[in-house]
Amino acid sequence: MLNWFTKKNTHSDVKGNLDSYLKRSKDYKQVYYENQKTNQRFCFSFLSSLIDESILEDHALPFLLDKPFEKLEDIKKIVSVADVQISNDPSLIEQKLFNGYVLMTMESDKKNFAFIAAQKEIVRSVTQPEVEFSVIGPKEAFVESLMQNVNLIRKRLPIKELIIEEFTVGSLSKTKVVTLHIDGIADPVNVETIKERIKGVQFDAITDSSYIVQMISDNKNTPFPQLLDTERPDRVTAILAEGKIAVLVDGSPHALIAPTTLVEFFSSFEDYFLNWILSSFFRLIRLFAVAFSILITPVYVATLSYHYELIPKDLMSTLITSRREIPLPPILEALFLELTIELLREAGARLPTKVGQTIGIVGGIVIGTASVEAGLTSNVLLIIVALAALASFTTPVYKMGNAIRLLRFPFLLFAELWGLIGIVFCFCILMTHLIRLTSLNRPFLEPLYPPRLADFKDALVRFPFSQQSQRPQILRSPNPVRFTPPEKKKKTDIDE
Amino acid sequence: MKKIIISFFIAALLLCGCVQKEILDDVNLETGVGYDLVKEKIRGTALVPVYQPDKSVDNKTFTASSKLSRDFLNDVQRQSPDPIVTGSLEVVLFGKELSERGILDLIDSFQRDPSVGAGLYLAVVDGESKKIIQGNYGNRGTAIFISNLIRHNMLTKDVPKTNLQLFLSDFYQIGKTSYLPQLKKKGKNQIMISGISLFKYGKVVDTIPGNKMFFFKLLVDNYSEGTTEVKIGKEIAAIQSVQSKNDFKLSRSPRNEVDITLKINAILNEFSGNKVTKKEVGEIEKKFKKDVERECMQMTERFQKQKIDPIGLGHFVKSKTRNFDIKKWWREDYPKLKVNIKADVTITESGVIE
Repeated sequence: MLNWFTKKNTHSDVKGNLDSYLKRSKDYKQVYYENQKTNQRFCFSFLSSLIDESILEDHALPFLLDKPFEKLEDIKKIVSVADVQISNDPSLIEQKLFNGYVLMTMESDKKNFAFIAAQKEIVRSVTQPEVEFSVIGPKEAFVESLMQNVNLIRKRLPIKELIIEEFTVGSLSKTKVVTLHIDGIADPVNVETIKERIKGVQFDAITDSSYIVQMISDNKNTPFPQLLDTERPDRVTAILAEGKIAVLVDGSPHALIAPTTLVEFFSSFEDYFLNWILSSFFRLIRLFAVAFSILITPVYVATLSYHYELIPKDLMSTLITSRREIPLPPILEALFLELTIELLREAGARLPTKVGQTIGIVGGIVIGTASVEAGLTSNVLLIIVALAALASFTTPVYKMGNAIRLLRFPFLLFAELWGLIGIVFCFCILMTHLIRLTSLNRPFLEPLYPPRLADFKDALVRFPFSQQSQRPQILRSPNPVRFTPPEKKKKTDIDE
Repeated sequence: MKKIIISFFIAALLLCGCVQKEILDDVNLETGVGYDLVKEKIRGTALVPVYQPDKSVDNKTFTASSKLSRDFLNDVQRQSPDPIVTGSLEVVLFGKELSERGILDLIDSFQRDPSVGAGLYLAVVDGESKKIIQGNYGNRGTAIFISNLIRHNMLTKDVPKTNLQLFLSDFYQIGKTSYLPQLKKKGKNQIMISGISLFKYGKVVDTIPGNKMFFFKLLVDNYSEGTTEVKIGKEIAAIQSVQSKNDFKLSRSPRNEVDITLKINAILNEFSGNKVTKKEVGEIEKKFKKDVERECMQMTERFQKQKIDPIGLGHFVKSKTRNFDIKKWWREDYPKLKVNIKADVTITESGVIE
């Protein structure tokens, strides 16, 4: 019923078109009011699902009905909402309506209209991190609201240099994506690269940051993630201070971090809360676990199929007696168990939590022991596969853990084909692939290759904070000095 | 990418036949072998462990006679249900008669087999090796029993270290001859190391008895943890050497005199007398020094007479002499070489109670 409004408008086509569309949706509302003093008639149009009606009722309507006003300009003075915009450009209407503004029009002034901000904020409260849980340290995790997430970072970095730039991607979803960096610390080249990449995203609906990861990664044909994702605002704060760039996507509780390196995927943020000796030890254990988890089953298959000479004589009887009744060759036996473990993991992940637990127990205990008793697999291999699965869970980043899961299978295949030489061959392929990978055009394998001695201070092991006075070299920060270390005092003896 | 995939498939197709699969439970692992000379033919006895479900090991032996040791393996293959593989060979035993005829041809086949490790133990048997191979010694298998027996005696007791690698190295070394431990059957299911067999060109020419092995090890090995007895009057003291070091010195000119200094740190294990005072310790040291010097002296003289050189004096002199003539050395110089032995004994401990 915008007849009296649309009839004489120059842009009547745009509006009529929009109006006819919106009327088909149930949540589109138009309400007419009359001012008590001046009898001025005015109309509110809005999408009720996007706006908070209490804002209208408490902060706009009482004033508009009781206080006299003649022109649209006047309402800015009488309404107690801060964000009121006056415009005469009808092309803005669609965007504003869908961003939770209320469109106000007056019968007397058909050219201009006002937008009153009344967005409804449905925000999940900030909860504990679930994927990257840590026993010590902050317990806040990102939520789905972009502004809430920015708030979590902004309040940790109260400086003007923290630049937050917004982009809109997705032709249908119009998802807001923001990049965060600290001006003067982040390399401007990196900032430009990531902005260009985000601008270049061509897709209709972006619903999560994982979409963005896949679209802005350097190499798409790889199982390895090239951007680190995290749900911890404290981690994002720390990497911003290092000179990296963070990307937040509206509707996604995971921030992206770029550029990143392979070793970063094996460092948990809890490493920074623990003493450097402990965290270095845990990092080494994690790296060992990765190597163990990828290689142990292939080595078992290779040794048993080709290299019986390598088996220590004391282990020989254990291996032979456990394999005595098994009809399958080592490769089929190993594939059978590995696939069982993968099935259990997949079933456990897809089912609701409570059912999932039962599956884990049923699978672990029943299938394992039953297949050993039935003589399908040897109990030595069962232990090996179970340990490998356990070791693969120590990877702190979930996406990297998935990549590790996959790697075992090509290794198994090569072990079956050519024994230990096959494993070495497969390892060479893997290393070649890793060396070629880049993250935001920076080498993914740094500091291992290219070797950067200074960056080893926070790679395989973590040195104490007092020694990390420089930002990582890979980031080429314009301001590489984190702090100037105090001059070393001459040590005084205990009895001086 | 396409190229990689295609080349991978081609490689997989073409190369998977290049390596022979030997799945652990589908082969018979030959862990020990014994060779004897029977009626001018070499009789080999291969030992294959059969692992029982209760983790104990049954020993199965295959016997065949032939002229060459590889031929013997072919004969044995015809008796075995699964292929016999040599990769986990632990010990090789040679019968006395055979070892006096020469064992080099047999060792040659082990040296050429890439799956046989260099740490393989070789030993000479006083008697027939088949009897030892067929014995039953504990439930871990005969081969493991024998190899553990030899190893532990090499590491901590009087037997000098030898294995396939060291045997061949001694053999090919100019101015050195090789030696191997000697086993002897003792009772039905018991064996012991009875001495050291000394080789000359792959043939046993002499044997050092078990009670002299301690002195032999002092001369040829750098570290000995063996025990020996020292008699002082009526009393007997048991001495354990904890550390020993031998050092050779060649006289200036004429270069025909070698000084061997044996530095021994020993502890007093047992003494049949009443009390061990400083005086007694001094006496024991003196007596022990005399014993070592005498025994070692006798041994080197015996080597010179036999024209064998397990200590490697020839090699030592060669490394110090220009224009060394090995033929002349064996013919003239070695028998005339003057060997001086000087033992330097320190008893470091004589027990807790003083």
